[in-house]
Amino acid sequence: MSLSLFWLLCLSGPAAVPLCTLEIEVPRLAVSPYHRPYVAVWLETPDRQGVHTLEIWYEQDTWLKDLRQWWRKLGRADSARYDGVTGATRKPGRYRVTWDGRDAEGRAVPAGEYVLLVEAAREEGGRDLVRHPVTLGGETQHFQLKGQGELGTVDIHIRGGGS
Amino acid sequence: MKFGRIIFSFLLVVTVHAHDRFIVPSHTLLSGEKTASVTLTASISNDIFHPDRPLGDNGRGEVPESLQGYFKRMKTVVVQPDGGTDQAFSLQAFQRFSAGDLRLAQDGTYRISLVHESSPMVTFTKADGSFGRAFGKDATVPAGATNIVRKATASRVETFVTRNAPNTRALQPTGQGLELGGASHPNDLFVQEPVSFQLFLHGKPPGKPVSVTLVRGGTRHRNQRHKINLETDDQGRFQVVFPDAGFYLLQAEIMVPGSAESGLQESWDSLFVSLEVFPE
Repeated sequence: MSLSLFWLLCLSGPAAVPLCTLEIEVPRLAVSPYHRPYVAVWLETPDRQGVHTLEIWYEQDTWLKDLRQWWRKLGRADSARYDGVTGATRKPGRYRVTWDGRDAEGRAVPAGEYVLLVEAAREEGGRDLVRHPVTLGGETQHFQLKGQGELGTVDIHIRGGGS
Repeated sequence: MKFGRIIFSFLLVVTVHAHDRFIVPSHTLLSGEKTASVTLTASISNDIFHPDRPLGDNGRGEVPESLQGYFKRMKTVVVQPDGGTDQAFSLQAFQRFSAGDLRLAQDGTYRISLVHESSPMVTFTKADGSFGRAFGKDATVPAGATNIVRKATASRVETFVTRNAPNTRALQPTGQGLELGGASHPNDLFVQEPVSFQLFLHGKPPGKPVSVTLVRGGTRHRNQRHKINLETDDQGRFQVVFPDAGFYLLQAEIMVPGSAESGLQESWDSLFVSLEVFPE
């Protein structure tokens, strides 16, 4: 981070701050040919049931299955549930993903313990998955995770209080 | 006498379980809205997923004479996600494997089976002490033969492929032969996650424990087979945790005594299922 982002988020009023903000680094890789990664961001229960897709970056649905864990937990069940959070793949850089705490039907996800996951898969490249437990409706939290190759640093900020 | 019986049972296992067989899909999981395709290869080979001889032919391939009768007795059955059967899929024999394309127009799980229905045979010890066998209901046994056992053998060689979300319609036992069912889905297998399966014989729990083995592919490129040996409970249930990602060949075999009216002493059913396990 993005310490600046962190402080910005902390100092802003609750109304202006999304419940969850991630800053995801798509690393620059010295490989040729380079293909941009497919990336999924989602929420699970502690016993690994998929809850909600926060963001998905892809080009062709044929390769969505390669985001293996996301595909299994949420993707394959119903494409309508992630149509609203879909974007194109991103070139190397840092990207902010925000979530207002609501599911695909617009209902607030209940407060409690969850796990936030970010998965990346790249054609002719590897696959990466980072995860961290988060509490919704509790304290303000900040975590910094590090990918193994296809993901750089991933900063997670969870605003305290209700969604 | 006891020694003789041990030798005999060893020969019996070799006979019935002569060679490993498999049908393996190019892909087990597919995503997307368009009709997808997978290519399946099938082979009789003791190197797991490395082919040796063809398994199945649609009349267009060149079939070794020794396998012609076997292929004639074998049926290719594809159960679609809606429970219907796909009639378009077939395998063509090549020198080292059989291959065919399957088009997946439906979302859900397909089951692809090579079914060898129960067919009679007889095994015996020849007068010179060597092992012999003959096929057919009225197979003749040479003079002086001993240890004559009339039996029937049947097998299923299967795999599963899923487009988008998996479903369970095609997993329901057909009621024919030894089949794999249970709580876990064969297209949803991940390393280090407990898996629960159940074997069914003619659509029912087998009523006695069944030995099951699992071998990960690539035996050709390692020195040990690393076979996982399991035994089911008498309902056919078993649990397994796959240690590594890859394709596994599951094998199981069961013998039940033949009925008096069938004239058979033993009835054997075997099952070969190719399963893909993904890393976390």
